[in-house]
Amino acid sequence: MTEATQAPDTQTLLKAQKRRNAWLAVALIAFVVIVGVTTAIRIQETDFSGGDRLYFSGYMDEAASEKADRVAQERIAARQAAEAAAATEAADTTDNSDE
Amino acid sequence: MSIDMTAQSTSPRLATARDYVELLKPRIMMLVVFTALAGLVAAVGMSGQGINPVLASVAILSVALGSGAAGAINMWYDADIDAVMTRTSTRPIPSGAVPKDEALAMGLIMSAVSVLLMWIASNVLAAGLLALSIVYYGWFYTMVLKRRTAQNIVIGGAAGAFPPVIGWAVVTGTTPIDAWILFAIIFFWTPPHFWALSLVAHKEYAKAGVPMLPVTNGAKATRTQILIYTILLAPIGLAPLATGLGGLVYGVVGGLLTLAFLYHAVKVWRSQAGEAEAGDAERKVAMGMFAYSILYLFGLFAALIIEHGFGLYFPLGAF
Repeated sequence: MTEATQAPDTQTLLKAQKRRNAWLAVALIAFVVIVGVTTAIRIQETDFSGGDRLYFSGYMDEAASEKADRVAQERIAARQAAEAAAATEAADTTDNSDE
Repeated sequence: MSIDMTAQSTSPRLATARDYVELLKPRIMMLVVFTALAGLVAAVGMSGQGINPVLASVAILSVALGSGAAGAINMWYDADIDAVMTRTSTRPIPSGAVPKDEALAMGLIMSAVSVLLMWIASNVLAAGLLALSIVYYGWFYTMVLKRRTAQNIVIGGAAGAFPPVIGWAVVTGTTPIDAWILFAIIFFWTPPHFWALSLVAHKEYAKAGVPMLPVTNGAKATRTQILIYTILLAPIGLAPLATGLGGLVYGVVGGLLTLAFLYHAVKVWRSQAGEAEAGDAERKVAMGMFAYSILYLFGLFAALIIEHGFGLYFPLGAF
């Protein structure tokens, strides 16, 4: 490993640096595109009203997972109850106006 | 520990794209990606949960980046001993193609990017496991274990065993027993795989002052350890059949591969591989074991992908 390879000249070094910079630019653009596409897909697939969370969908233990599921179920039940109450109220209002 | 640095190249050469790729240890990366993919596919098959193919691809890309990042950090830290060993002296840093600091920066940035991408594409558990595996290899194995103990490969083997668990966590957000069985297969596979190589390269490790088992305990003890670990690996390699993770295809492939692995281990044990008077034939026996071990791991995980990814899973209980 003690071979005396000739050191590259400044021009060659600059060319190599430009090539590396171009690859870095490609990598940065790819990173931005990947983050953008991934986020779009995640938003599309997430049911926020059901208690889903965008960037914290994995749980470290079963208890935390069950608690999150329970909270989500309670939210859904509460929303359905509210909707049912609103529908009943709307029906009552319609009945009253008929009288 | 003093290391002869005269082997370090005296003048730098111009780095090529190949040098940067080599910095990421592409051969290790391929195995890491393959085992992570197997974990991911098996998780889909076993849990019945689907995953968006784009998100799955980004998750696998993250694993590849994480593996490359750990490889770059490893090469940064080990540049001094790499320069001493003939096998590794042409690597990008000792050959003078890539500056040490650049390799470290690349490793750290890629580590952060890989974990971030994994989190965005899947979940915090998968991202956490990926971060843990990078730290385990880049710091715990490379900086703590490798130059201190002959058990470096045994304990450090866990770093390479994480990918299928990460793949599983990507899909389900959990790590059930099946995922840890895949972890155990790679964990127990690593010592016989790496010690087979070190039986051939032990003089190089001795020159660099790395306490590999053949250097500290001799070739005979290493050959015995290879046999012991292969015997331990045999039932673990077939454990997926007990939990239902592996079906008929896995049973047939795994059974045959395990028998052949045991055959190679016995052959190495009976040989003089690693001894001072060992000839070319003995060297071939050790290298044969090393090459076969790669085929063994590839075969087991390929069987899982075939079963769970191509609808060819036939549970053994049905027969």
